[in-house]
Amino acid sequence: MKAVTLRLRLTAGLLGCAVAIGLTGTALAQPVKTVRVWHTETNPASQAAVAEIVKRFEATRPGVKIQAEALSWNDLEGKIMAALAAGSPPELSHGQPVTCAALLQQKLLLPIDDVVKAIGESNIWEHYKKLCFADGKWYGLVHASGTSLMIYRKDLAKKIGIEPPKTWDDFVRIAEKLTIDENKDGKPEIYGLTMPGDNLFINILVGEMMAANGGKLFDEKNRPLFESRQMLETLDYWKRLAKFMPPGWEGHGYLDTFSNLYGQKAALMYAGFGRGASLIEQYAPENMRNTETYDVWRKPHGPSGNAPASQVDEETWMLFKGSANPELAKEFLAFFYKDENYIEYIKSVPIHFFPITKSLRNSPAYRDIPMVKRWASWLQVQQEDLDKDQARPTLIIDWEDLTNKPYLLQILGSGVLRDMVLDVAVEGKPAAEAAKRGQQRAEQIVRQAGFAKW
Amino acid sequence: MQTRGLPGLLLVLPALLLLATLTIYPVGYGFWLSLHAKHSLFPQQAFVGLDNYIYLWHDPEFWESLRIGLIYSVSTIFLQLVLGVAAALLLHQSFFGRNIVRGLVLFPYMIPTVVAVILWKWMLNNQFGLINFGLVSLGISSEPINWFGRSYIMASLILVSVWQFFPFVLLAVLARLQTIPTELYDAARVDGAGPVARFVFVTLPQLASVLFITILLRSIWMFTKFDTVWLMTQGGGAERYIRTMPVYAYLRTFNYYEAGMGAAVAIVMFLMLVAAAATYFFLFRGEDQL
Repeated sequence: MKAVTLRLRLTAGLLGCAVAIGLTGTALAQPVKTVRVWHTETNPASQAAVAEIVKRFEATRPGVKIQAEALSWNDLEGKIMAALAAGSPPELSHGQPVTCAALLQQKLLLPIDDVVKAIGESNIWEHYKKLCFADGKWYGLVHASGTSLMIYRKDLAKKIGIEPPKTWDDFVRIAEKLTIDENKDGKPEIYGLTMPGDNLFINILVGEMMAANGGKLFDEKNRPLFESRQMLETLDYWKRLAKFMPPGWEGHGYLDTFSNLYGQKAALMYAGFGRGASLIEQYAPENMRNTETYDVWRKPHGPSGNAPASQVDEETWMLFKGSANPELAKEFLAFFYKDENYIEYIKSVPIHFFPITKSLRNSPAYRDIPMVKRWASWLQVQQEDLDKDQARPTLIIDWEDLTNKPYLLQILGSGVLRDMVLDVAVEGKPAAEAAKRGQQRAEQIVRQAGFAKW
Repeated sequence: MQTRGLPGLLLVLPALLLLATLTIYPVGYGFWLSLHAKHSLFPQQAFVGLDNYIYLWHDPEFWESLRIGLIYSVSTIFLQLVLGVAAALLLHQSFFGRNIVRGLVLFPYMIPTVVAVILWKWMLNNQFGLINFGLVSLGISSEPINWFGRSYIMASLILVSVWQFFPFVLLAVLARLQTIPTELYDAARVDGAGPVARFVFVTLPQLASVLFITILLRSIWMFTKFDTVWLMTQGGGAERYIRTMPVYAYLRTFNYYEAGMGAAVAIVMFLMLVAAAATYFFLFRGEDQL
């Protein structure tokens, strides 16, 4: 009897194992659906936040794999281009608003209205509805935004008795006053200003300066306006400012300008962003890591303008036509924007990432983030830029430019504006001569892109 | 006869197909692309004939990139040769630890370009770089130099490139030096030749063949060098002062999004190299020892 029972038990055990193995095998064989997600937040904290959100999402959706990849700014456009050419775009990618507009114009994007519906359209700040929105549909949704800031040494400004600048002339005078050469050897210990010389940042700055000077970059026929009075004044402004910048400034990248600022080599930074607060907290001397030392001003306007303008850094999420799992990608995106997940992302760079949802921005959880409290004045200036609608994406002067001028992507990449600035501010060429050359190059680019209507 | 040739043809066919696929097709496609106005991102394209080439003929940026490219390639090749030959002569001598030094000197050529460039960018940084620290500490410079600004970026690029690639010349020359019969030097000594005369009349003629091929290869590689130049400009703004032709071709394709124009720059570069190589071979056609 015992032997029979043992045999029965063994048989049952073996059957159980077989069933278990069979089930496991079935589970293992279940096809995994992959959603590829490309984003431009390469800093470790943001990558960790994305990884955490991915982990949470995957836990709710067995059989779905989110393959998130952080790409540098410089790689992104090329990689998107190659993926599109190869017919295997990712489901989701960040992209600059001009990129989103250009891809939308080519009908390469899918609408993401379902995501907006899940978030609640009324829960999204008005500002973000102007980007990549066409025919009543959303094609791009900003992941978070931050406006370009003028960061200054508040301690030095107080000491010298400097008031915030209203106009470019005011600002040049301030840059001169903050250029400090204590031993009078002609080599300042602190330069008045630091600005990056790389292509993207000069484009950002020229765009916002033209807006602050009442100018436009292109007319309605898409003809460049690089020889306009406003542009000549802008170029002249660069020339005047260059006198107060460290020698060789044209070789400085964005991070170099920050190290000039927190390394106390420069007193003003024209194109800073909120993420710089983290750099200051990490690298500035301990007693200087605060808004009493580094604070922000709203930017001045030019002689032909009457209001400040700044650039807003706000890449949109784009959903690609022809990708393998767009529906799952939308589900992931809706999950990403849920307050409890979104805050993880926002917290990774809190002074640069403005949440696009009202629910999160107004929540105690957001307002209680320690850095948000510490750098409140930086956020206040950004809020003002956005609320007054004085912040635009790179090279966008009027919101319609986003849809009407898809060639801005080429203008940005070509370096035409950067070369004009360097011709004047570094080479010492007259503004009119540099502008004439820039005009010719830009006209050729617009023609080549097929948008010349003049 | 024809039947006997067929197996031979069949045997070389795979190699010919491989060559056609990997070499002729890309060049042919590049040429075809250069005859079109083609956005790099989007599928549309329009045939424009030689318009891209005509545009380049009148394009100051193209000529500037050619000028910069020539300055870069000629100076780096010259310095690599001088340094490579000098180092090879030195390492051909007997001294303690020679084998270790021979191994170490190849280090720059072995490390990946991206590592080499990052390394140098750190060392040349004007805020915390070792080189500026040394120059200021020794009183050679009163303030840190911005090696990546307009005035110095070409010098920095040449420095990095020579450092990285001179071991190739060294390796080739050293290998040849080791095969020169010692009898030639003995005979020269008997004839009263000093070290300089022995170098000029024995060593150099013996190195001619290896220098011929080294100059040819290094010229092609330096003229088309992209990675080092490109990496040097990342993160800073003085790119336009070292915008060589390969970089310009890249910019036209991936930043201007003009694939046709980018292809035209690349084809012009290709034709220039073919012409230069043909001229080079023509000039040295009489040198039997080569």
